[in-house]
Amino acid sequence: MTNKTPAEFTLIIFPEPTTLTVRISGELDYDTSEDFVHVVVRHLAEHPRPHDVHLDFHELTWIDSTGLSALLMIHRHTRAADATLHLDNRPPVLDRILLVTNVLDHLTTPHHTRAHPSGRPANDDITGTGSF
Amino acid sequence: MKQPSTPDPEPVRDPDPLPERLWHAVADGDEERAVELVHGALEAGVTEETLLLDIIAPVQERVGAEWAADRISVAQEHAATAINERVIASLAHRRPHTRRRAPHRGRVTVGCVDGEWHAFPARLVAETLRLRGWRVDYLGAQTPTPHLVAHLHRTDPAAVLLSGSIPTHLPTAHAAITACQAIGIPVLAGGRAFGPDGRYARALGADEHAPDARGAAAVLEAGLPRPRPAAIRQASEDLPHLADQEYTMVVQTRPQLVKQTLADLEARFPAMRGYDDAQRERTAEDLAHIVDFLGTALYLDDPEVFTGFLTWTAGILAARNVPAHSLVTGLDVLSGLLRDFPRTVGMLRAGTAALGSRPFTGPDTRA
Amino acid sequence: MPAPADGLSAPAERLRSPDADRRVGETWTEAPHPVLVVDRHGGLLRINEAARHLLPAAVSGDWLHERVPAWLADAHQRISDGLRRTSAGPLTGIINDRLFEAHPTEAGDGDVVWWLADETERREAETALGNAQRRSEILSEVSSALLSTLNVPRCMEVAASMAAEHLAEAAVLVAPPQGRRYALTYARQGGPTTQVTRRVDISGVPGLSEALQGFPPVPARWINPDDIPDWVIPHDFAAPVGSVIVAPLPGHGVPAGALILLRSSTERAFTEGEEIFARLFAARAGAALSAARLYSEQAAITATLMRELLPPKLGSVHGVEYGGGYRAAKEQERVGGDFYDVHPGADTTEETLVVLGDVAGKGLEAAVLTGKIRNTLHALLPLAGDHQHLLDLLNSALLTSHHTRFVTLVLASVRRHAGRVRIRLTSAGHPAPLVVRADGSVTEVPARGSLVGVLPRVKATTVEVVLAPGESCLLYTDGITEARGGPLGDELFGERRLRRALADCAGMPAEAVVERVQMLVGQWLGPARHDDMATVAITAPRSAPAVVAGGHPRGRTRPRSRGQDSRRTP
Repeated sequence: MTNKTPAEFTLIIFPEPTTLTVRISGELDYDTSEDFVHVVVRHLAEHPRPHDVHLDFHELTWIDSTGLSALLMIHRHTRAADATLHLDNRPPVLDRILLVTNVLDHLTTPHHTRAHPSGRPANDDITGTGSF
Repeated sequence: MKQPSTPDPEPVRDPDPLPERLWHAVADGDEERAVELVHGALEAGVTEETLLLDIIAPVQERVGAEWAADRISVAQEHAATAINERVIASLAHRRPHTRRRAPHRGRVTVGCVDGEWHAFPARLVAETLRLRGWRVDYLGAQTPTPHLVAHLHRTDPAAVLLSGSIPTHLPTAHAAITACQAIGIPVLAGGRAFGPDGRYARALGADEHAPDARGAAAVLEAGLPRPRPAAIRQASEDLPHLADQEYTMVVQTRPQLVKQTLADLEARFPAMRGYDDAQRERTAEDLAHIVDFLGTALYLDDPEVFTGFLTWTAGILAARNVPAHSLVTGLDVLSGLLRDFPRTVGMLRAGTAALGSRPFTGPDTRA
Repeated sequence: MPAPADGLSAPAERLRSPDADRRVGETWTEAPHPVLVVDRHGGLLRINEAARHLLPAAVSGDWLHERVPAWLADAHQRISDGLRRTSAGPLTGIINDRLFEAHPTEAGDGDVVWWLADETERREAETALGNAQRRSEILSEVSSALLSTLNVPRCMEVAASMAAEHLAEAAVLVAPPQGRRYALTYARQGGPTTQVTRRVDISGVPGLSEALQGFPPVPARWINPDDIPDWVIPHDFAAPVGSVIVAPLPGHGVPAGALILLRSSTERAFTEGEEIFARLFAARAGAALSAARLYSEQAAITATLMRELLPPKLGSVHGVEYGGGYRAAKEQERVGGDFYDVHPGADTTEETLVVLGDVAGKGLEAAVLTGKIRNTLHALLPLAGDHQHLLDLLNSALLTSHHTRFVTLVLASVRRHAGRVRIRLTSAGHPAPLVVRADGSVTEVPARGSLVGVLPRVKATTVEVVLAPGESCLLYTDGITEARGGPLGDELFGERRLRRALADCAGMPAEAVVERVQMLVGQWLGPARHDDMATVAITAPRSAPAVVAGGHPRGRTRPRSRGQDSRRTP
């Protein structure tokens, strides 16, 4: 009983024509992040391309660095799909990690290349030489 | 441990004996002076073992006692311990230059029980054994048992010396002892946690017990037979009373017990409702310690583990002018919560009696 | 003949009933047992059909002792002389190579009827069963003893000594060669085991080189004991060798060695059953030895790789103290996603670079990434003066489209100047370092920045901190503040408690600061699981450092340094 019983991790998906909403509850961490990315990416592919992806964190109880890594991966996919990512109802635990790592703007800046006035892609490309 | 009766190595004109001067250097955080004193004594002909066990060890004992009596701060205690550690390291470091003697006795492993942060006694044992010609693998503070076992498989030592200072780690120590023996390595237990005369070492099935570094060396020199593989056993075989599940129950419900006791105490002592977060947390920590020691007493089926802790705590509180009545009330509340568990109730009753009969006998009564 | 269901004594009981006498006359001649009726003088009165079959030469009127072995004739004599009662129970002995139980009953006038029950098969079955039980007990004991250790030399020692204890007078375990040398383990019954590694000619032992290659064993009877070379025979094995078994130790795919069993010429030779048993024993020993060897090899590989990944030991560098603490989430792996390094400046005028960081993930996989990051940073050390540049280079080295694994870290460039320690601190997405002042106040260093390895650019700010003597700066990973536990069970340790812990650390040496933080967090956690946790304390010493990097005393009152000493030596 002293061992914390990890809150159940659940994802509820609401696919609508232009919006994909995913409600996340429980702990987004080392154990649950992989599933999270997998499910969201599958829905992005299956449904008509949404303009907006809303991740509703109202019932999120915990997020660690692997969870944040998952959010960054989902962002890559939404950007590739020309959708804007929204992180809604952020609890303090999420705000804190976004603040410390300084990635909130990166994750939520609206991104529509089609709508971009200059027509060039936002300065968001992966230009690294990384092989790690 | 007593002050040494060995001849004072310092010249007669010196007013203070070496341990006194070392104590002052260490308490002042003056590492330089401490190192100098010890190395000076070494050059004056005091043997290294005498320095370790009759000079440095008593100074370290005194560090603990002075903290308990509230004469030095936590910071001073930590700094003093760190300096003592470095003094030992400096002795060990100069050793190869002067006495390049290959280990000729055999290989042993010295480590602390998982969760045990007090590594100083283990360090003294490790250095003493090295001086006596053993090849020592010193694993340091809080050695996780899987790590210890992997090390033993790799090195196949003649024995494991397991050190423990705080009795609440004894259930963990038990698992470590059993694991070492299951792979055919005998265990020599030592340290205050194993009780006066090492009675808990025996209760937990350790092959031998030694009260101090010299005792440990003597046991090893006499030889420790390897345990037969038939020695593989379950905790409940050593301690049949565990079958009543009271230990398990108390340990598993610790957070709830602490929460409930805290609430009841607040109901009984209106003053507690005015506590700030820090005060409240300290009270909760005290209660958690009480439950931990209660659990350990149940594990060993020996109320002295519990009563010893309570009288020691009462002494600590008295030194800081904190009344100990909350301890008695805490035990009372716990007795109510745990009334269905006869062995537990017996322990709590013994605890209350000990607090009543031996009020605040001073800091160093812990087993 | 079916064995009586109710035990050995049953037929005797039945045959001794009071009216046996009268019934004998009607049925005994057809009894399936040999039956002899003998008078008090030892003369054979009558024998039945089964007895004639057993003793073809015997006829009525013969003397018993001329027809049956002495054990039976003597027993009859004793009964006739009144020295033994017929109720004393049956006797057992051999007649014509078969084992019989002889049950005497009185038939009046001093005559005795001997009922002979053939026990040969049953006794053989019992012996076989007993042997099988004993052997399976030995095998199970052998298995648990062998499997208890994963240390190869110890495993060989156990195998050889148990072989000598249960199978032979002496045993020699020959391990597969390492180069041209063989590790040999000698054991003698009741004696000590010894291990040596030496060059030996294995071709001198019939079947040994085959056994070491995993070929089927050569039957013991093919081996001439006189051919056994001296190196096989233990020093204290007195008598000449009488019989030999060479058994391969089968391993996991490759042979684990061979076992040579020796019995002296004064003992009986190995039987076929013993040879089969020796092979069973060798199979167990080989499996255990292979497991131990596999484990040792894996452990050695892990240790080698781990050495590169374990956090370094910290100490004093250029008049500044450093203390480091590390605890991995997966304690048995001992490494994880947190890391730290201290790269000393070339001399006291150069900055020392301290790095503490955290890679997303746990265990070995994360540790491998930390190793790459540490190597990259090491290579970039010449550029360490410009933190922003360093982070940009690291960022582009880490960026990849395959994943979004990132690292957060703190860079600290440290230099001691005029008794004070100046630190330039940059945080890249990492929890802000804390500073404890001499008066016990604790402040957060306002260094902020973004994580490294995912975004196209790293934004980070550098903040300078100056430490007076006795003051410390603590770098830590979030495993510390996110440790869950405490008296109420499920609370985070949190930054507030960390600050409170640090407030007590004013004036402490760096390693004591780290130890105190680690201890408090450890106690907070109890046995609960936790994330990787790393801490580094950078401390301005209260006085001039008494111990230089090597650990030699550099006393105020002793003006001669070691350097001067050595210069004076010609």
